[in-house]
Amino acid sequence: MSRTTASVAEPVVVPERAGRIQRGIRRGLQNAGWYTVLVALAVITVFPFAWMLLTSLKGPLDPITSVPPQFLPSEVTFANYERVLAALPIPRFFLNSVIASTVTSLLNVLVSAMAAYPLAKMRFRGRTAIFYALLATLIVPAQLTYIPSFVLAVNVFQYYDTLPSVIFPGLVSAFNIFLLRQAFKAVPNDLIDAARVDGAGEWRIWWQVLLPIVRPSLAAVAIFTFVVSWNDFLWPSLMLHDRDGMTLPVGLAALQGFFSADFRSIAAGVTLTVLPILLFFIAAQRWFVRGLAGAVKG
Amino acid sequence: MTRRFAATPYLFLAPALVLLAIFVAYPMVAVVWYSFTDYDIVRPPVFVGLDNYQQLLGDEVFRLALTHSFLYLIVTPILIVLAISLAIVVNRSMRGIHVFRALYFVPAVSGSIAIGLSWRWLFERNGFINSSLQAMGLIDTPIQWLGNPSLVLPIAMLLTIWAGVGYYSVIFLAGLQNIPEELYDAARIDGCSDLQKHRHVSLPGLRPQITFVAVISSLAALKVFDEIYVLTNRTGGILDSGTTIVFYLWKQAFQLSHAGYASAIAIVLLAITLVFSVVNVRLLERGQAEP
Repeated sequence: MSRTTASVAEPVVVPERAGRIQRGIRRGLQNAGWYTVLVALAVITVFPFAWMLLTSLKGPLDPITSVPPQFLPSEVTFANYERVLAALPIPRFFLNSVIASTVTSLLNVLVSAMAAYPLAKMRFRGRTAIFYALLATLIVPAQLTYIPSFVLAVNVFQYYDTLPSVIFPGLVSAFNIFLLRQAFKAVPNDLIDAARVDGAGEWRIWWQVLLPIVRPSLAAVAIFTFVVSWNDFLWPSLMLHDRDGMTLPVGLAALQGFFSADFRSIAAGVTLTVLPILLFFIAAQRWFVRGLAGAVKG
Repeated sequence: MTRRFAATPYLFLAPALVLLAIFVAYPMVAVVWYSFTDYDIVRPPVFVGLDNYQQLLGDEVFRLALTHSFLYLIVTPILIVLAISLAIVVNRSMRGIHVFRALYFVPAVSGSIAIGLSWRWLFERNGFINSSLQAMGLIDTPIQWLGNPSLVLPIAMLLTIWAGVGYYSVIFLAGLQNIPEELYDAARIDGCSDLQKHRHVSLPGLRPQITFVAVISSLAALKVFDEIYVLTNRTGGILDSGTTIVFYLWKQAFQLSHAGYASAIAIVLLAITLVFSVVNVRLLERGQAEP
């Protein structure tokens, strides 16, 4: 490894340097090869979005269906965006999505973290039974519950066509309980015992000792739940019909119906709705990775 | 000490258990009951015994939906192979690698409706794919991609794969980074090529992740809905060529108001999922022999 000693002798330096240059060239070529692969994959990933963006910026004089396809608009226009915004209250969709996803993810984390504590750190009657009951709910496909949940929403809770109808069913997730149980288990018992000796009750131990320690896990679970809730479509589409009450995915599906063949406008609508979640992702990127990576450790 | 413990654990668990009882346990019981009834959600259900199940047996579209959903499982092995390959490609320290990793994850956060619409636009009769193929002289007349019964399902699968590779590769990447470097060094000393190194070190090391992704992605494939909904413009495709179990459930329950019949479909979906889960749990237990 350390060639510094050898390089003291003059004649050795020349072949040594030549070798280094050769290695450098080889690594450079190898890197170039990898970058080509990476860029090609990036193009495949991003192209559908890029094509949407380009389509959305084209005016009526720019062809969007020509052969060969024309990539860049000859003149950038925001008319499509104006048309979409005039036809559908996209800022309202956005606000509804923000409210529904934020409330869902915060309360879900709270409820899951509460349930995770006794499962991780306490002994009590029925613990195993509850554990397996939770496990069983993971198997039930959400779609199975939609018909009875629909009836409940209309007849019992009477929150049909309001935001609470998409919030309440999302407030609990056995998956999140298991993830946080894992996180709590990793906290040393000595810490909890010490707090107990100091006279802290179980609620204080949970709130002031455990939650701060597992904060990274809480953040990962919260952000994950946020995105899942943000992109949820089938259940919200069953519940939300009033135009001012829709979340973004439901509004987007409505947009498809509204503009049927006007792809300039649809493209503008899609771009408008993808942009916010992309910005959120860029800001919260490392938590995604942590959340996904943590999910498998088991 | 023991007395203080008495009620506390149950209080901690109460909100979660109440919510699960309302939104999972009760609906499960109710859907079993509905499956034995004639029900349109508006009028009260009327008990009809096994009528719905009998009707299912002779329902051609249901059989088609089942077939499509099982065919959809092909995406799972493809996703695993591609996601592992992508993880291996991005598991190297190069300038800007984080940007690429983030880019590949973009479809996973963009939402199925948005990406579905962007794909529909690519595959439109006058869309980008046809224009490009025509410009290259590969075809003379535009192909009816989404209007062709034999192409709807493959395009939806392609969309699922495209959107899922980046997502699952994050899981595999985390797994790869947990494999001790010494194992690769040992393989190198033993004269393994790069490809052999991945076969003999990476793949065994990724077993927990492979099992996890197999479980998650196959269950997701069985329940595919959004892609079909958008790509077929909520029709399920010409001649039901894109109809899957969940799509058919949705159509029967919420388009045709056959909630009783749809409940019977839901029970079949549950049965399939159960069988799948049992198989999966077996695999998981084997994959996680070491804690």
